[in-house]
Amino acid sequence: MGDSTRENPSGTPPLVARNLHFAVDAPGGRLEIVNDISLTLNAGRTLAIVGASGSGKTTLLGLLAGLERPTSGAVQLAGEDLSVLDEDGRARLRRARVGFVFQSFHLLASLTALENVMLALEIGRNDQPRERALRALEQVGLNHRLDHYPRQLSGGEQQRVAIARAFAGGPDILFADEPTGNLDRSNGEAVADLLFALNREHGTALVLVTHDPKLAERCDDVVTIVDGRLESPSVATPARAAGVHP
Amino acid sequence: MNVWSFSFRLLFRQGRSGSLWMLIAGLAVATAALAAVSLFTDRVGRALERQAAEILAADVVVRDRAPLPERIRVSADELGLATSDMITLQTVLFSPTDSALFSVKAVSDGYPLRGRLRTAAGPGQPDQETATIPAPGEAWIAPEGLRTLDLAIGDRVQLGERELEVTRLLTWEPDRGGGPFLLTPRLLVNRADLEGSSLLGAGSRANYRLLLAGSERQVERFIAGFQPERAGRMRLETPGEEQAETDEALEQARRFLAIAALTAVILSAVAVLLAALRFATAQRDLIAMLKALGAESGEITRAVTLMLLWLVAAAVLVGAAIGWIGQAMIAEILATQMRTALPQPRLAPLAGSGLFTLLLAIGFALPPLLALRQVPPMRILNRSLDQASMARRAPWLVPILAAFLLPAWELNDWRLAVLMLGGSALLAGLLALSAWGAMYLGLAASKRASGAWRFGLAGLSRRRASSIVQVTALGLGLMALLLLAVVRGELIGQWQATLPANAPDHFMVNIQPDQADGVRAELEALGAERLQVRPMANVQLVAIDGDQPPENGFTGQVNVSWIDQLPPANEITEGAFWSPGARGEISVAQRWADRVGVRLGDVMTFDAGGSRFTATVTSIRNVQWNSFNVNFFLLLTPEAGEQLPHQYVASFWLPEAAARDLDALARELPNVSVLDVGALIQRVFEIITQVSQAAQVVFAFTLIAGLVVLLAALEATRDERRTEAALIRALGADNATVRNGVLIEYAVMAVIAGLLATAGAALTGWIMADELFNFAYRPGLVLFVGGFALAGVLVVGAGWLGNRSVLRVPPVRILRAGAD
Repeated sequence: MGDSTRENPSGTPPLVARNLHFAVDAPGGRLEIVNDISLTLNAGRTLAIVGASGSGKTTLLGLLAGLERPTSGAVQLAGEDLSVLDEDGRARLRRARVGFVFQSFHLLASLTALENVMLALEIGRNDQPRERALRALEQVGLNHRLDHYPRQLSGGEQQRVAIARAFAGGPDILFADEPTGNLDRSNGEAVADLLFALNREHGTALVLVTHDPKLAERCDDVVTIVDGRLESPSVATPARAAGVHP
Repeated sequence: MNVWSFSFRLLFRQGRSGSLWMLIAGLAVATAALAAVSLFTDRVGRALERQAAEILAADVVVRDRAPLPERIRVSADELGLATSDMITLQTVLFSPTDSALFSVKAVSDGYPLRGRLRTAAGPGQPDQETATIPAPGEAWIAPEGLRTLDLAIGDRVQLGERELEVTRLLTWEPDRGGGPFLLTPRLLVNRADLEGSSLLGAGSRANYRLLLAGSERQVERFIAGFQPERAGRMRLETPGEEQAETDEALEQARRFLAIAALTAVILSAVAVLLAALRFATAQRDLIAMLKALGAESGEITRAVTLMLLWLVAAAVLVGAAIGWIGQAMIAEILATQMRTALPQPRLAPLAGSGLFTLLLAIGFALPPLLALRQVPPMRILNRSLDQASMARRAPWLVPILAAFLLPAWELNDWRLAVLMLGGSALLAGLLALSAWGAMYLGLAASKRASGAWRFGLAGLSRRRASSIVQVTALGLGLMALLLLAVVRGELIGQWQATLPANAPDHFMVNIQPDQADGVRAELEALGAERLQVRPMANVQLVAIDGDQPPENGFTGQVNVSWIDQLPPANEITEGAFWSPGARGEISVAQRWADRVGVRLGDVMTFDAGGSRFTATVTSIRNVQWNSFNVNFFLLLTPEAGEQLPHQYVASFWLPEAAARDLDALARELPNVSVLDVGALIQRVFEIITQVSQAAQVVFAFTLIAGLVVLLAALEATRDERRTEAALIRALGADNATVRNGVLIEYAVMAVIAGLLATAGAALTGWIMADELFNFAYRPGLVLFVGGFALAGVLVVGAGWLGNRSVLRVPPVRILRAGAD
């Protein structure tokens, strides 16, 4: 918890993206994967990014989370301009302010549920990683599965461990890439319930990439990405005006 | 993040994954191979040195023409060295009816300090080791001495003023060597008798020696503190300076062991590289995830480096223990075959092995692991955005170079190391290039093939980089195997064949000029083969280019011979040998020229009984001492030699059946001494056989290293193969298609690896034969047949066994592949 980047000026939106571009060189010429996307997400708000396969939504998520550098444009994450940070600077910012939930869970097969959560806390230099990890796993209802390895857990349970890991460090913003994509319907719904409940409880901003319209509907805002460009918000939600500015 | 505890936890928890154990195994095998090889070669080396010490009957000998000053003995006593006195003298011995020149050796208690005397009760009696020396008043006589003087055991002989009773037959002295010309029949007596014989007065040509033996440290300290009394006259003899024939065999043996060690080192390095690549690949997801969670590159670097250090520590401990056990096992196996017990192993070589493993890890395992810091965190969302790249190689050349140079330094043979490493690098390059070519052809062929052939050939091309690495590693492993199984035997066999089966086994010395033709005719009549009768004169070397020659064992009284054409087993290295009719020229053996400091064009002055003559050095010869021909350091043009008082020396091989007739001939010529060198030849062969057995065991470690390479290569691509097999089975391929595809892929690999390994082994054998043994090696058919059969059985067999899980993988795996 002792990271200096934790001191965020209050009132700054946790996520601001301006004119983001991301292009790669491909055999047929230069390929624009993300094309001029701008958006802002305020504290405690939830945003769904939807779009067809290959539309560029996962790449956008990576750019917003500081996992990838944009070809041009700027991202302000938790009040920090990512463009002035090198990779280690972005790593420090992530461990202090950002949580992740992935489609394929990405738990370490050789670590138990408790150790997986503790590892993230240790990387984030949090005090008392064991106690925090125990609390986080209790919150996701897995305190009876602490010493189980990922292969001994169901898909739903694995994703709950990943959610515990994501929230354990108290992030300002959470990025989730198809969090229910590898789960059956009932497990998917349970995981989604947990995700939104913790989100509300912690007051965390959430960016969610999904194919699932039902999951998207549960977010405050929904944007659709087509061929790398942001289309006008396609799903009407009461909160649309509250934060997303495509 | 505390990287120390994190690295330890990472290692500890990764310990449950297979790839980590591969890396530990690779490093541990490297340590074990080098530890066992260096521990064992260290022991063998010291044992052989000890055996060579038997040629001196001591670890070190101080020798002078005059009685040795007391201070030498005092300093030896102070160091705790065992000592024994010896005086040798060429003198005429009288029996009641006859007289002959003998080489008398007078010894004191304790002789010999190294090795054992063997004696027999009489002719035809079995001989046995003895721990005593002749008592005062007794003499032990060599068998040929008994014949020379027509004596029987119990007869008496006159040595100066002393009369001695011949009590035993002396059949073996460890220090009998020193060149055939000194080997007039031996009489061994107690020192007190020679001292009381009045033969040691002024003008006597006696040699005084103090024999010393002790621990290596004591001997080293004695040698370091040794100061000769009078410049040049007193000198130290240490093992290795005696007996050219035995020396050469030992040197070749040491080189053979060094080659075995270097082969193991090269293969271990390949195994470590493959294991590290595999381990690093398996860590990419983990590293991407850690980075996404906020781990910095520096932390990754430190954690990975520390983790590798823990790995090295574990591998060194395990490897050293295995190496220690390994060398003990080898020693146990060889115990019955070794003439002397091996000295206890020392810890010292282990330090080198540990350092070597660290360098190996830094050079071969660290680069792929450090490249992990480049893994983009985005990989966690999209693997296609992660292009695996190796760290820049150049800075890593330093530890790689050091990793290879260290064993070379340990083995103390730079030239051999460079030759081996250069050869291996060339072979690896050729293998890689050929593998690349075969992949290219495979890709082209797979476009026309169908079914299993398409699957198999495409598999090779699809994993082009890893296939190239595998074929290269397999080729190197196979090459070591072929060197061990085939080329080693062929080399020794062919080298032994270069020594003629009927190498001269008898020398006859002191033949007077008027007897020479008669002796030649008699010997030919007895069926002697390879007969050479050569003149020999003993002259004093007075000056080289007008300057006093250096005083050492090679100067002073020297033997010269003369001839009008280059004798067999001699090769001119500098200058040119004279044509018949040339005058005033001298040809010098390389070894003598090096020790005395003589060069082409130098004028040498000799004194023969008061008259002086000179000769100009016009050629330098390389003499093949192990030919057992009569060879001379110094050869004159005939006109100079024929003026000198001289005798003749004959060397020949004699059928066993003619031994009795030779005895009769020797009796007719009382002044001529016959020397049987069969025992010496036998000893040279014994040493070669013994050392080649040791080398064979050492090579077994290279074989293990080769097999680790093979398994590491298989392991490296297994996951990918499993996924592919699941995919094509999901697409409807039957078992046979998958199985045949795997077989075809490995068979093609076996052919490429077998072809290149066979050619590589043959080339290496040829280079070794040319460089080390001085003969032209001809690879036998068995190398090629065996090479391909071995490649097929090993590669296809191991591939088949290693891929059984691939063949069994259920097609449903493909559906879960993303979740693995």
